[in-house]
Amino acid sequence: MIEFSPEVIRTVIRTASLIGAGAALIAGVGPGIGMGYAAGKATSAVRRQPQARGAIITTMLLGQIISGSTGIYSLVIAIFLVFNT
Amino acid sequence: MKEIQDPVKMQKEIIKKTYLISLFPIISSLIAGSFDVFLGFIFGLIISTLLLRIKYNNIRRALDMNMEKAEKFIRNRYFIEYALYFIVLFTSARNTRINFLAAAVGLFMMKFTVVLWSVIDLFKDTFQSKIDEYK
Repeated sequence: MIEFSPEVIRTVIRTASLIGAGAALIAGVGPGIGMGYAAGKATSAVRRQPQARGAIITTMLLGQIISGSTGIYSLVIAIFLVFNT
Repeated sequence: MKEIQDPVKMQKEIIKKTYLISLFPIISSLIAGSFDVFLGFIFGLIISTLLLRIKYNNIRRALDMNMEKAEKFIRNRYFIEYALYFIVLFTSARNTRINFLAAAVGLFMMKFTVVLWSVIDLFKDTFQSKIDEYK
């Protein structure tokens, strides 16, 4: 059985955690695309019904608040992996 | 929540409710004497409040644009916000006087409030419909 030195094991763990942090950051891209799509649709909705502008802004604001949390989750995981290994 | 149609009023209501819910962790961290948790929480909360204002202004600007331009605008602004979140979390991770997890919870507090508010509304509606059925 091959035995690795603690130095090698530490390097492997560090590399794996950095790769994991990078992969976690990809999750932050999704909400941006989704928010942009929602904004486009909201713009066309305001064109169709200008009197509903207030309600559309309110709904969009709530949607953006909630959808942005996925990005923060990924950031928290990434920073945790970088600094705690 | 759904009965509020005015975005400014909605914003004020969200901020008010978030600060009300945040009083519990703030007071408990002060009683426990962990000042780093208190600082981290306040840091995250202030940044999330300011980002809410920025979000509102961005949405208002985006609704005056055409569809493709609004899409691009909101996407770019989201990435700027993402960078700001990164700076906040990075600073709290590097600084020993600010608790990293408390800052993250402070950033999440607004989202948590909105979800909690929606769940309470849902329960209220369900309860009301049951009462109406019974009548």
